Amino acid sequence: MTLKDRGGDAPVLECRSVERRFSGIVALNGIDMCIERGEIFGLVGPNGCGKTTLTNAITGFYPPQRGRILLNGRDITGLAPHYVATLGVARTFQNLALFNGMSVLDNILLGRHIHMKPSVGRTALYWWLARGDETLNRAAVEDVIDFLQLEGVRDELVDGIPIGLKKRVELARALAAEPSFLILDEPMAGMNQEEKEYMARFILDARDERNVTVLLIEHHMDVITGICDRMLALNYGEMIGSGVPADVVADPRVVEAYIGGAHATR
Amino acid sequence: MLFRQAGIFHTDYSADRALFPIPADRWMIGSLLLLALAAPLYMNTLYLSSYLLPWLVWTAGALGLNLILGWAGQFHLGYAAVMGIGAYAAVHASRAGIPWEIAIVLAGITAAVIGSVFAFAALRVKGLYLALSTLALQFVMDWTISHVPAISGGTQATLQAPDIRLLGWAVTSDAGLYYVALVWCVLVTSFMLNLRRTALGRALVAVREKDYAAAVIGVNSFYFKLVAFATSSFIGGVTGAILVGTFYHAVTPEQFSVDVSIQALAMVIVGGLGSIIGSYFGAAFILLMPGVMNSFISWAATKFGFSLGIETLAHLPQAFYGALIIGFLLIEPLGLGKIYNNIRDYLLVWPFGYTKK
Repeated sequence: MTLKDRGGDAPVLECRSVERRFSGIVALNGIDMCIERGEIFGLVGPNGCGKTTLTNAITGFYPPQRGRILLNGRDITGLAPHYVATLGVARTFQNLALFNGMSVLDNILLGRHIHMKPSVGRTALYWWLARGDETLNRAAVEDVIDFLQLEGVRDELVDGIPIGLKKRVELARALAAEPSFLILDEPMAGMNQEEKEYMARFILDARDERNVTVLLIEHHMDVITGICDRMLALNYGEMIGSGVPADVVADPRVVEAYIGGAHATR
Repeated sequence: MLFRQAGIFHTDYSADRALFPIPADRWMIGSLLLLALAAPLYMNTLYLSSYLLPWLVWTAGALGLNLILGWAGQFHLGYAAVMGIGAYAAVHASRAGIPWEIAIVLAGITAAVIGSVFAFAALRVKGLYLALSTLALQFVMDWTISHVPAISGGTQATLQAPDIRLLGWAVTSDAGLYYVALVWCVLVTSFMLNLRRTALGRALVAVREKDYAAAVIGVNSFYFKLVAFATSSFIGGVTGAILVGTFYHAVTPEQFSVDVSIQALAMVIVGGLGSIIGSYFGAAFILLMPGVMNSFISWAATKFGFSLGIETLAHLPQAFYGALIIGFLLIEPLGLGKIYNNIRDYLLVWPFGYTKK
């Protein structure tokens, strides 16, 4: 399967003048974004600029009050989060959202939820109705475990593994769903240089080998410029720059938003 | 423990996910089942029908409550009401001439329907608010049962339950009734064991742990909460019907009052949330401990020659029993099931305690 095969020529994600307010606060104002198939698209901006709100608007947690969001050409504005997930959108969270009481394996198996048919009957008659399905999905999960090199912690409780691995488990859970569109909300927060490099390599490999299009939110500019094809910069809910990373990070408005006006004038 | 895990390798995924992946565990469960099957041969009927039988039925009930409380993480303070619905439904159905094996299924379905209609409204709220709305289910059912003569058979009435007939055979012997309870308990247990390794069980745990994270992977939390309520109500309804059919032989509203709901809740919490073996321990503890305490204190009073007023003698066992519950939960908040697991894990590697399990 090539990248083009997954849903024709329509952009994977398109936001058309998306607006989201929380009573008086305008968190997003007129955001236009178009992510092409097979891209790694960066989203940057200072804290509180609306990056996470935008992902929440896409995944259905905070539907936009104005504007439209299209996934593979299909309007998904205002759909419930669990339904958006079944359409092939997966995401990870900035502060991790793993199920702490479960093993790494069960967490990643949960990523296969949309491909399985959970029911009381299948549970009661496991030996006849569910074993084959569970085994097939387990094989798919083992594939992801191999891909992200998580073999060593497969049976550990998620609670007990270090944060760098937890981030990787969350990525594994997202990839297990075989999404066409993957949103990574600061996957490298709190990581050291080596872990960051590992993660960057995993993201590139996921794009190349597992055919996902990636929206990457990150504060590490070296990562953004290093692996993103295009990017968008936000400030106070407004778009302040978009295009190829090298151009955007040189844009005086972006520099001003990130490190202050004094540097921009030099 | 009698065995080591060393040297046991699984070469395919279904063996890895077997209910008891370790051969020694399979032997243990097999011998326990044999012991349970042979119980009428070596146990006197008093113990069989007044201790073992209610323990098995209550364990099935506790497992049903554990499904909603331990797996899906939703409070339920009206579980006895659900059991009561099942009990009354089965008694009325079999009095109307419906065969008992169909009557108990009807009992389960009635309980599941009423339980999930109620849950449909109650699940709009979460946590403690949900607990209070389920308490409302209890009071509504108490009131309805005692105020509608068509259900209760009149004020303060006791409805006689017809004798059980299974596939045409009358089941009236103590052994027969015991086997009915045993089969139901084994069925519920195997369902709960399967829940640990299927997509349904994982989805329920996802809903319990973090509902927003569940939504992100495509789990519709409301739907799965509803499924949990319906399934646990079904188990509760059938358990109520079996409790009346095999143990009480008659049904009155007090058998399923709010105290009983609290008792069921205590079984699950003392046994351990989400623990299957814990539900066995919890049911045994809650059912047997008051009696054990009673005889212990009477024995101690005669042995050490102190005399106790009749008042003290009535309340002291209750106080000790309460203290024991608090004590166990202080040692291990996850209940008796977790204490069992800790001991097991310790013995598995004994005497090399420094090794990883």
